[in-house]
Amino acid sequence: MMNALKICVFTVLVAAFYSYVSQMVPQKVTYPPEETELGADMTTEELVVAGEEIAGGKGTCLTCHTVSGDTGGRFPDLANIGLVAADRKEGFSDVEYLAESLYDPNEYIVEGFLPGMTPISDPPIDLNDEEILAVIAYLQSLGGVATVTLDTELRWQSEENSAAAAAASQAGAAAGPSAENLSGEELFAMYACGTCHSVTEPTPLLGPSLYNAGNDFSTAELYEAIMDPDAVVAEEFTAGLMSAQLNATGFYDKISSGQLKTLVDYLAMQKGGS
Amino acid sequence: MKWLARRLPAGSLLFLMLAGMALVAFWAPDAWAQDAAGPVEYRSFPVVGSRVVVWVIAQLHLMFGAFVLAVPMFALTIEFIGFRNGDKRYDDLAHEFTRLLSVSFSFTASLGALLTFFLFILYPRLMEYLVSIFDWTFMLYACVFFLEAVFLYSYYYGWGKMPKWLHLLLGLGLNMVGIAIIFIADSWLTFMNSPNGIDAEGNLLSTWDAINNFTWMPINIHRLIANICFGGSIAAAYGAYKFLGAKTEEERAHYDWMGYMGNFIAIAALLPLPFAGYWLGREIYAFSQSLGIALMGGTFSWLFIIQAVLIGNLFLAANYYLWLSMERIHGAERYRKFTKWLLASITVCFIVWATPHSLVATVEEARAMGGSHHPILNVLGVMSAKNTAVNVLILTTYLSFLFYRRANKEATVSWAKTGNIVQFGILAAVVGVVIFLGVYGYFVEASVRIGLSIPQVGLVLFAMISITIIDVFMFRNARILGPIEWGKIPNRAQYALFFIAITFAWTMGLMGYVRSGIRQHWHVYGVMRDTSEHAFTPTLGYAANVVSVTVLIFFAFIAVVFFLSSLSGKKKIEAEGGASS
Ligand code: HEC
Ligand code: HEC
Ligand code: HEM
Repeated sequence: MMNALKICVFTVLVAAFYSYVSQMVPQKVTYPPEETELGADMTTEELVVAGEEIAGGKGTCLTCHTVSGDTGGRFPDLANIGLVAADRKEGFSDVEYLAESLYDPNEYIVEGFLPGMTPISDPPIDLNDEEILAVIAYLQSLGGVATVTLDTELRWQSEENSAAAAAASQAGAAAGPSAENLSGEELFAMYACGTCHSVTEPTPLLGPSLYNAGNDFSTAELYEAIMDPDAVVAEEFTAGLMSAQLNATGFYDKISSGQLKTLVDYLAMQKGGS
Repeated sequence: MKWLARRLPAGSLLFLMLAGMALVAFWAPDAWAQDAAGPVEYRSFPVVGSRVVVWVIAQLHLMFGAFVLAVPMFALTIEFIGFRNGDKRYDDLAHEFTRLLSVSFSFTASLGALLTFFLFILYPRLMEYLVSIFDWTFMLYACVFFLEAVFLYSYYYGWGKMPKWLHLLLGLGLNMVGIAIIFIADSWLTFMNSPNGIDAEGNLLSTWDAINNFTWMPINIHRLIANICFGGSIAAAYGAYKFLGAKTEEERAHYDWMGYMGNFIAIAALLPLPFAGYWLGREIYAFSQSLGIALMGGTFSWLFIIQAVLIGNLFLAANYYLWLSMERIHGAERYRKFTKWLLASITVCFIVWATPHSLVATVEEARAMGGSHHPILNVLGVMSAKNTAVNVLILTTYLSFLFYRRANKEATVSWAKTGNIVQFGILAAVVGVVIFLGVYGYFVEASVRIGLSIPQVGLVLFAMISITIIDVFMFRNARILGPIEWGKIPNRAQYALFFIAITFAWTMGLMGYVRSGIRQHWHVYGVMRDTSEHAFTPTLGYAANVVSVTVLIFFAFIAVVFFLSSLSGKKKIEAEGGASS
């Protein structure tokens, strides 16, 4: 009996030790990629900014590529791509070369590297034509000058891959449960967030005011603050209060990712302080 | 209790209980309300959420499955050795290992049923899709599973009651069917990571191509080996558990030996595992670099640091056990002075291996560093250094085994001295070249560097095989310095065995998580998106806690298995005791 007890304790200790080790590494939640808004009338400069955001986010380019100027990595460094793109392939302008290396990466393999990039117009990256134009603008700007706009036409573009087609298919997927169509404001009311948070006044209630949430937090931070409120507790507030209340109302069981996004977008729009 | 042990309805009882609980949970009115709203894609599970229930049950099913499939493999091998050399001890040991099977088999089946049940209820859309791809394989699986039950019970209950050759044949059948089971199940889950045999819309083109996808064979092999390792370590833990409770010297000797054999199997299977792992990694990269990068370089790079800690601990504990084991052997003193060097070598390798490759915490951070590679840790962290470290780690453990093997022997052949020098020469040369290739890797292009691991692995295998062959010949007719005194081993050593078993179970849990985790927000990578609330990837700390809880539940079950198994063994020992007195 004594032995059985000792073995039990030992087992729990070893498992706890590994759990502990795992708390020591960076704790990061990864959310499904966010959409970057692209307006039809964006200037080239705006496209560059949007493209940079896509490259670091939905495009996942930075999981492979570096933009540091260091060579010798496993994937081509992109710090000077805007400069060298025009000379890469005979008869191709810089825009054409960049487009090909995104739509059809295995057509031309950069010297010293192995094939390995998947066409970014296909899943899993799945960028639409407009997003790809933004990325091209960003790539041009690295060591060169961006020239493309959303009106630039490329022969790799297709009907199915345009933003409109993508939006239609997304709407199709989203047309599920009817609660999906609630607005952010309705969701905020439905789960009684307002009992603890004000979105109209800077004064805190039971929880901090969110009237300036759009300026105070990035959307990723808002996601985290909602899904895991106790990860970062705002000063002077009680940890566990919000999660206990939301658990009690069944918020975490009921909220879908679509609704969560709506809610976060709603909070991100609260810019009372500016 | 004895009746329980004999009839073994424990599994079915448990299943009924859990199924009852699940039914109650789903009779909640809101589950019906969701049904009324049209085709359901997901249903939610109270308190912990759908993802965690399916996760935990799948992992438990996997662990029991791994155990049930692995034990027959080495039970048969041991039985066969006993059959060939006529040593009754081997036959008894094999039988004792098999005794752990029947309760575990009921658990495996119940957990499998529970898993299916939850998957179809909680993830209807995904399951509908998978059924459309794999239709007939599910039927085949059911049939093969049934066959497994037939073989397993006739192998177990038929022990000693039929001609040996027939019994061995049954054992072979059992293993064939077991391998078929794991291969079929692997096809489903590998398809989700590396889909194949479908068109751009995800419609089925060929079921065989879907089965034979990129990662199917590598996972089959990696799992097969890992399962043997896991099974051996659990069997060793059983030996350790019995050893600690043993009343007589005889029992101590017996269970010491059982623990040793279980551990030997586990470590022998552990040595080739990293190679199988790298092959798996290569195939994942070959299927999609994005998936490969997610695995090793991006989101999950920190997970492999935890894996390195686990594997490092496994190697360390295994070596520690061998060193302690030498205490039961006369003549082993001669080798004791080497242990500190072995320990040093393990430590250095471990540190290199645990150095992270790229440390991406956030995209912002990655941008600030101008990409995903950390300037300082880059050097020790890349594949080149890691491959080298693992290879040296394997060689060190091999060396511990070699010392153990020789502990009470003195070579009598005339060329013993030359033999030793040649062995040492091979070892030194291989270590030298392996390290050289590791360093050389920094000076060549990526495309060349990736190929360097192959000669490294080849050399390590060459060293282990050639040194063993020389050793076998050199210690033929060796002078025996003293007997192995089974049972003469400190209790610490038994805890080392528990440690290995727990660490292994935890590794399986963690790696099971990364296999599903790398798909991120996809159910079927690039084909079917996860649109549920659980589409996000949780933190590693969270995942680790789920793994820990799973491991503890698993060992609670295993305690039941051990308990029931030793009950069914008691009758025999009592009966034998009665006959001899
Ligand atoms: C899975 C890793 C991976 C991802 C993700 C990835 N790439 Fe690549 N990329 C490569 C590899 C490998 C090459 C070199 C082989 C080739 O030319 O196709 C490359 C080449 C390139 C080139 C040509 C570089 C040159 O010097 O000519 C460009 C431009 C490029 N990628 C842009 C991108 C962008 C933009 C993204 C994100 C939308 C992206 N890549 C995502 C792996 C990746
Ligand atoms: C029972 C009161 C309560 C309810 C209901 C509640 N919260 Fe909170 N919330 C808090 C408290 C207290 C904090 C600060 C402590 C913390 O971070 O956990 C907080 C923090 C936050 C923050 C981070 C703000 C900051 O300054 O750090 C966000 C965003 C947030 N809540 C959003 C929501 C949303 C959206 C809902 C409704 C779904 C909600 N809360 C419902 C009490 C509540
Ligand atoms: C160093 C030695 C290694 C050990 C001891 C080891 C051990 C294990 C174990 C015990 C499992 C669980 C098997 C199962 O599910 O039955 C596993 C699975 C896995 N391993 Fe390894 N592994 C090693 C190296 C690697 C490497 C280098 C990689 C990848 C690059 C890798 C990738 C995986 C993956 C993806 C799985 C999940 C497979 C699955 O459960 O479906 N392993 N490993």
